[in-house]
Amino acid sequence: MSTPPAGTRNRFVVDCWINLERWLRKTVRNPFVVVSSLLNPIIFLWLFTAVFGSVTGDALTSTLGGNVNYITYLVPAIVIQTALIAASSSGIGLVDDIESGMFEKVLVSPMRRSAVFLGKALSEVLRIVVQVTIVLGLGYVLLWADTGGAVGTYVATGWLGVVGIFFISICFAVWFTALSNLMALWTRDQESTIIGANLVQLPLLFVSSAFLPLAVLPGWIQTVARFNPVTYGVDAVRALMLGQDLLTVLSINWFGGVWNTLVPALGVLIGLDLVLGGIAVWSLNRATSADVE
Amino acid sequence: MAAISATDVELVYADGTRAVRGVSLEIPEGEFFGFLGANGAGKTTMIKTLVTLLRPTSGTITVNGYDVTDQPRAVRSSIGYMAQETSIDEELTARENIRFACDAYGVRSADRSERIDTLLDLVDLQEEADALAKSFSGGMKKRLDVATALVHQPPVVFLDEPTTGLDPEARNRLWDYFRTINDDGTTVFLTTQYLEEADQLCDRISVIRDGTIVADGSPAALKSAVGGDVIDITLAEPTPETIQRARATIDAIEETDLSVEPTESGIAVTASNAHALGPELITTLAESFEIAGFQTRSPTLDDVFLALTDESNDHGDTNSDARLDLEADQ
Repeated sequence: MSTPPAGTRNRFVVDCWINLERWLRKTVRNPFVVVSSLLNPIIFLWLFTAVFGSVTGDALTSTLGGNVNYITYLVPAIVIQTALIAASSSGIGLVDDIESGMFEKVLVSPMRRSAVFLGKALSEVLRIVVQVTIVLGLGYVLLWADTGGAVGTYVATGWLGVVGIFFISICFAVWFTALSNLMALWTRDQESTIIGANLVQLPLLFVSSAFLPLAVLPGWIQTVARFNPVTYGVDAVRALMLGQDLLTVLSINWFGGVWNTLVPALGVLIGLDLVLGGIAVWSLNRATSADVE
Repeated sequence: MAAISATDVELVYADGTRAVRGVSLEIPEGEFFGFLGANGAGKTTMIKTLVTLLRPTSGTITVNGYDVTDQPRAVRSSIGYMAQETSIDEELTARENIRFACDAYGVRSADRSERIDTLLDLVDLQEEADALAKSFSGGMKKRLDVATALVHQPPVVFLDEPTTGLDPEARNRLWDYFRTINDDGTTVFLTTQYLEEADQLCDRISVIRDGTIVADGSPAALKSAVGGDVIDITLAEPTPETIQRARATIDAIEETDLSVEPTESGIAVTASNAHALGPELITTLAESFEIAGFQTRSPTLDDVFLALTDESNDHGDTNSDARLDLEADQ
């Protein structure tokens, strides 16, 4: 008779790695998904800057001062949009697993459920890092074309800022990944999960500081944006891009400069991550076959 | 110690459905056990409860000595489970699927390559080892699924209707694998609605109906419980009306040890002295009906099942009184 494996930390890491490896393999095998899910953000980046780039100058100057190019202003929104889309496809992977029986196979195995979930989430984090790199690169190319090669400073906070942008994207993605997986577990249906994710995506983006400074938007949007995680994600990335404190929904001035945006924004996002991530892990830990039939 | 021991297991779903109603099982190590029942009888619910995928509403279950409620991870490490629906990752190759299962069950990496090759050999997928599973036929996917359930050489294997939907060749191949692992000492718990399958493979069978075990015993004991051999009589015009009248004619014959069931083409008569009784029955029937043919055969488990179902119907609600305990007959 086989003895039950000891509940070691080591085993947790191994379980996590096994699942990360499986999902990475699937992602690499289907590069089309990684590319096609970037289409929307790329179209947004390209068309928005083309359509609104010439008329947003005053709005940007009045709220941010100086001479901010709309491309530089928009790239943080597209970064967050990319993270949002990647996170929302996480649930689709889970539904695939439920439909193929792999979910049950994982449930009946001795692997730790939280390690299973973490491994899958890590594969999505890696995907987000790749996609955000592409978006940042594309933004640079657009800006280069727009300014005739005189880009000047792209990310005001430098390479450390770029690392920060990855970190914020990941913090932003975790809560939505958790939500997407919870939706998958509740609906167990591919269409519902995709529609649900798409439904919330556009309103979340538009009713936030993503596309224009909140100050020039209608009052109700300013109110709703205060409760929209996208605002915190976009403002944090934008603070690093532009090198200034621009979080307007909370006025906190204890940290100085960019940190007045970064600390509260990350606080909100990490708080959300812990709550929703906790609920998702708890639900998966309790999941039985009764949940997937 | 019993490999599987269940006492008074009840399972009530959230919507109030009582899928399993007081099932007790005692399966010794090394037994090939069959759990036989029609669709919706509670087979899958019971097997999922045994493998920790569902929590019993009441009752106790131990598998390999571990309690399914208190020590689920220990149970999971010590069993193999093959779900009714083929469960493989179609975006991975056969080898990768088995490898994932090896890792999930903590097969030591030193043993892994050899284990994977052994299993690929067992299920005859060595040549397709590096092809994506999505290109496989239904039978190949099923074989791959079998392999992934055996990676950790579990002492107990649960198979939920493993051959449903497969062609006879694929089915026979799976049967061979199951016999092989059972011969090696593995306890096998198999659910099936194919009575022939249980007859072919199992040392012992329990029949489940409406969440209750209505009979258990060896295939031979179950067969003898039916009450003898069967005469299949084909009517030239098998309308519901003629079949009904033919049944009535047979019922009128003064013979205590005899039962009659309608079939698609006529009727089936079961009697302990069927061979002697045959000519008399045919003669009697031929007076009023045109008979297209007849043959006498041994009962199949289909007949067993039919007899049991009738028995329980006669008693109204299934309860312990309706249960046929055949241990004494062995």
